[in-house]
Amino acid sequence: MSDAALNLHRSAGRPARPFRRPTEEAAPARIVLIAVAVGGLMLLVGAPLVIVFVEALARGWAAAVASLQSRDAMAAIRLTLLITAIAVPMNAVFGIAAAWFITKFDFRGKAFLITLIDLPFSVSPVVAGLCIVLLFGANSAMGAWLVANGFPIVFAVPGIVLATVFVTFPFVARELIPVMIEQGRSEEEAALTLGASGWRVFLTVTLPNIRWALLYGTLLCTARAMGEFGAVAVVSGKIRGQTATMPITIEMFYNEYLSVAAFSMAALLTGFALFTLMLKTVLELRHADQLAATRRH
Amino acid sequence: MATRAPLIQRTAIPGLGLSAGITLFMLSLVVILPLGALLAKGASFGAANVWEVVNRPRVWAALWLSFRLSFLAAAFNLVFGVILAWVLVRYRFPGKRIIDAAVDLPFALPTAVAGIALTALYAPNGVLGSLTNQIGWQIAYTQWGIWMALVFVGLPFVTRTVQPVIEEIEAEIEEASATLGASRLHTMRHVILPMLMPAALTGFALALARAVGEYGSVIFIAGNIPLRTEIAPLLIVIQLEEYNYDAAAAIGIAMLVISFAMLLAINLIQIWSRRRIGHV
Repeated sequence: MSDAALNLHRSAGRPARPFRRPTEEAAPARIVLIAVAVGGLMLLVGAPLVIVFVEALARGWAAAVASLQSRDAMAAIRLTLLITAIAVPMNAVFGIAAAWFITKFDFRGKAFLITLIDLPFSVSPVVAGLCIVLLFGANSAMGAWLVANGFPIVFAVPGIVLATVFVTFPFVARELIPVMIEQGRSEEEAALTLGASGWRVFLTVTLPNIRWALLYGTLLCTARAMGEFGAVAVVSGKIRGQTATMPITIEMFYNEYLSVAAFSMAALLTGFALFTLMLKTVLELRHADQLAATRRH
Repeated sequence: MATRAPLIQRTAIPGLGLSAGITLFMLSLVVILPLGALLAKGASFGAANVWEVVNRPRVWAALWLSFRLSFLAAAFNLVFGVILAWVLVRYRFPGKRIIDAAVDLPFALPTAVAGIALTALYAPNGVLGSLTNQIGWQIAYTQWGIWMALVFVGLPFVTRTVQPVIEEIEAEIEEASATLGASRLHTMRHVILPMLMPAALTGFALALARAVGEYGSVIFIAGNIPLRTEIAPLLIVIQLEEYNYDAAAAIGIAMLVISFAMLLAINLIQIWSRRRIGHV
């Protein structure tokens, strides 16, 4: 390639020359904006992320691992896994059912139903916990009856599950509804015409179409379920070793000045959050067309 | 759509009973009954008594603090979020993909983790707190700390609502503006920013709603001094710990009412701005 051709090639590919296209910002403005965005994000998000691991490893790797093996820490990890294992499938089933109901049928009050499903996002988690305490707490009629019959909800696992389901309620449904609206009903109707049963249509026609959106919604739901604090703090009663989830245990350790233990538990949850983000990014890159692309959170 | 139609139109697709049953059962159990219990508690307590609780100086101060700082945090996120979205869509720089993914970290990170991490950073003996304290600016255990935590939890909303809108801006619009002699700054102010406004306001509203109810990330850094750094959700927790269910319900109802009023106001502003700009 001759020098002239090389130069021509270079000038076509790089806008960083003195000449500026009128639909771009000047280079100094660009640099300032990038610096503000990247610098701001490093300070606001990067710094807290780093400090979690720094504090967890302040007394070394062994101390951090040992703190996670204490009886309270292990009980908290087990409880959080249990709660997540119950709450996330509940929400996935609800999300699929709600999306099927809303997108495959026409009925009055659909917009109102969608608003109700979205409602938990605009209610404070603490208020959500309060509502559950008022409904099922020992001071209410139903709560007293349930406690008398040996099935307490508040200050026990069912209450924590209910609180977790409340705060994560819209995640799966919100992700599925736009995707299923876009895909319409014709594929399902074709399968029915060919004689497939309802379940077969769902499993072999609908599910393959929505699987990435379902995974995406479930992922967001899982991350939130494992980390929920406000609602769980209210309904759990914070009984050590019994109703203290991982985030609640972080608070307990922190208030007892067990810094390494608190931050080690926090680092464990942070590691999971980073893993979630990674999966989410991969899903967005690979299957952008099958996700509800314009609502990215 | 269905004002004239029957309640439910029959279609060939099966599963109506099952899907409607699961949806309505879960919705009732998880959302409607608990919220109903709160409203019923408020009703049995009586409007006058609810007002008496809300009107106490400590409650009033907490509500005002929560909403004021949430507004200021969402306002910061509005500006920063639009800049971030613009940079992420329009510019190329190393590490962009990681930065883009990092925007979502506040969604993925448990709030209690964010709370203790921010406190460790900004406490007077923390890495950043010791620096700011030298110029007499204490962040942790003051209202600045609460604001900082609310900025953190609301960070992704504006960016994530504005990004797709920037991606869809057609080059012709900016070209037309430049051809007509507008400077870049002029195009930005009068052509691009108005197009981003409705989406940015949606993000602002989401960030605001999230911040008003936020608890986990705030209580660690707030200091929780009554009348000064005590947020409204904490007040509910305190009332519950003292078994004051009526007072807790009163504050909860006040929070619900104020947040819905704010969301309604923002929706109206949005309709107005869409109409003024003349596109959807």
